Amino acid sequence: MGDLISNLSLGFGVALSLQNLGLAFLGCLVGTLIGVLPGVGPIATIAMLLPITFGLDPTGALIMLAGIYYGAQYGGSTTAILVNIPGEATSVVTALDGHQMARQGRAGVALGIAAIGSFFAGTVATLVIAALGAPLTGLALVFGPAEYFSLMLMGLVFAVVLARGSILRAVAMILVGVLLSTVGTDLETGEERMTFGLPFLADGIDFAVLAMGIFGVAEIMRNLDHTEHRDVVHKAIGRLLPNKDDFKQSYKPVLRGTLIGATLGILPGNGAVLGPFAAYTVEKKLAKDPSRFGRGAIEGVAGPESANNAGAQTSFIPLLTLGIPPNAVMALMVGAMTIHGIIPGPQVMTKNPSLFWGMIASMWIGNLLLLIINLPLVGLWVRLLKVPYRLMFPAILMFCCIGIYSINSLPTDVMFIGFFGIVGYALIKFGFEPAPMLLGFVLGKLMEENLRRALLISRGDMMTFLDHPISAGLLAVALVILGLALLPTIRKGRDEVFVE
Amino acid sequence: MDPTVNTPTAGLQRGHSARSSFGLVRGPQNLVAGATLVLLAALALWLTRDLEQGTLGAMGPALLPRWLAYAVGLCGLALVIPAFRKDGDALERWSLRGPVFVIGGILAFAITIRPFVFGGLTTPGLGLLFAGPLAIIIGGFATPEARLRDLVILALSLTPFCMVLFGDLLNLPIPVFPQALTGLFPADWSQKAVLRATAIIMAAAALIVFLSSRRRRRTVQVDVTDHSGRI
Repeated sequence: MGDLISNLSLGFGVALSLQNLGLAFLGCLVGTLIGVLPGVGPIATIAMLLPITFGLDPTGALIMLAGIYYGAQYGGSTTAILVNIPGEATSVVTALDGHQMARQGRAGVALGIAAIGSFFAGTVATLVIAALGAPLTGLALVFGPAEYFSLMLMGLVFAVVLARGSILRAVAMILVGVLLSTVGTDLETGEERMTFGLPFLADGIDFAVLAMGIFGVAEIMRNLDHTEHRDVVHKAIGRLLPNKDDFKQSYKPVLRGTLIGATLGILPGNGAVLGPFAAYTVEKKLAKDPSRFGRGAIEGVAGPESANNAGAQTSFIPLLTLGIPPNAVMALMVGAMTIHGIIPGPQVMTKNPSLFWGMIASMWIGNLLLLIINLPLVGLWVRLLKVPYRLMFPAILMFCCIGIYSINSLPTDVMFIGFFGIVGYALIKFGFEPAPMLLGFVLGKLMEENLRRALLISRGDMMTFLDHPISAGLLAVALVILGLALLPTIRKGRDEVFVE
Repeated sequence: MDPTVNTPTAGLQRGHSARSSFGLVRGPQNLVAGATLVLLAALALWLTRDLEQGTLGAMGPALLPRWLAYAVGLCGLALVIPAFRKDGDALERWSLRGPVFVIGGILAFAITIRPFVFGGLTTPGLGLLFAGPLAIIIGGFATPEARLRDLVILALSLTPFCMVLFGDLLNLPIPVFPQALTGLFPADWSQKAVLRATAIIMAAAALIVFLSSRRRRRTVQVDVTDHSGRI
């Protein structure tokens, strides 16, 4: 406990320096901006802004990038409530009841409870990261290649179960992602694999290029196919602070949402996206009168909004302690860390304590800043929503080009975001979800490395994954979850969760 | 003549008949998706044909890609086969305009940002000054609602903003303007000074276009009210 306090005070010392405070504010501001705007997500934005962080010190860079990620969770709820379009994938369920509240003239209360719930969830998540950081880092030290491989395999199984639509398609996407990660020079033997002899593929496909193509460019093409109607609520937003009754109704959902979101966020396999869905379902199940949901129930805003913010923050845990990025945003964080010569994993905490604790402390400060950015400035964000998409997407397009060019100064990188944009667009049209593919790509290289190492140690004996108890346990969990997801009854329930 | 052709549902019905006219295919989306996976797997297998597979104890470079390719191919087959047996989703309509202009904008940016060697051809390196507006204006036409005037204003205001932000403040290694441009300015001006001057000129141009076209638009509006007033 004493350790925790001294560590956190070290962190606050770092995070409260003028530069880091400014960067946290900037990150949160950009995060809110892209969260509010539908059609730009944190993945594309962080990829665009990676080159900017070259000139910063690593702590400041990560503080800013983290701010973008959790800031987007706040911003996404604003659009969901006021326009009935999810600004982010994680605020889909917020739109259900949040927008109804807005139609009843209670937009302010919905925004208020979303922000307060998020702030509470952010505070708890910060403490969870601080408390779990040290023990999990200890755990990482007993992890060998077999355990790492099994853990990542479990993460991929989670990703399959959590993905929308057919399980077969999700499996296919993950396999394609891992396959793509094997493009480039083989590290053990130095032989080129599937590079077509092209020199710029020798180092493999750049993750930032793939992510920006699939989540930046393909997203633009997809949005252009749907002419969206943004019916901004014209009623007054009303008072922002929820009253006593609102608090009474929503404090339990906030607590439950935080718990659900924080737990799911830790799991590798993009649990943060499932958090809000799970929280909404739980609230509906627990409610005395479930028919209120979908008609402006405040619990339907409080629970999911707390869950998505908690999940966004706890997803840093696998990255900082085990060095495994649990989702695409964290994979970009790996990129930002390696640019500065930091290898993510258990050694970050021992070698760079000021970075580790500074980043954690900055998350709490960031949440406080977000409360200020979001509530009083909500009018400004609403006005931003009036910018038509026909003007927004050319700007996004140019920022994508500039960002990706600046990383390596290669025009071929720019062309490749176009190529992956087409690939992503085709995947969407064929009914595939691109997110699992990206996760497969992210974990693919690490998995191959650890698989090789584990099999080298065991001299080719596959039983090594079952002989190590932790590894066997992780594989068992993966198997059970996959089995459960394939059961007809649970499968139906899973579909229902996503339909809602 | 078919009486349904001119009704709004005609397209839908035609879609249905098209589906049945394929005969055996009952889930076109599954068929195409599965076939793509199979093709991808075949490509990966072909590309790794010369590589060593090795053994489990000492994995060669081809082991993982090859087994992954088999798995991807199997998934593909698992999608293709039911496409003949069960009814599935129809293929979504593809729009051509969006992808063509978006990719056009990206390519225009890529080949103009710095000299790009393409076969025997070398494109001139024009820098952000030209590459930015090209990307915005070409890409902007991806939507049928595009208006040239708005895109020009957007390009003329966003480009100088990016030039100052990325080239001046953040010092990113991105070419900002062609070297020939420095010749237009006094010889003792530094690169940064030229950059700032160019940015100011562009921003001013954006303002001029904005103001001049706004005035014209207002007169148009007056016309309209006049008309409706008289009628």
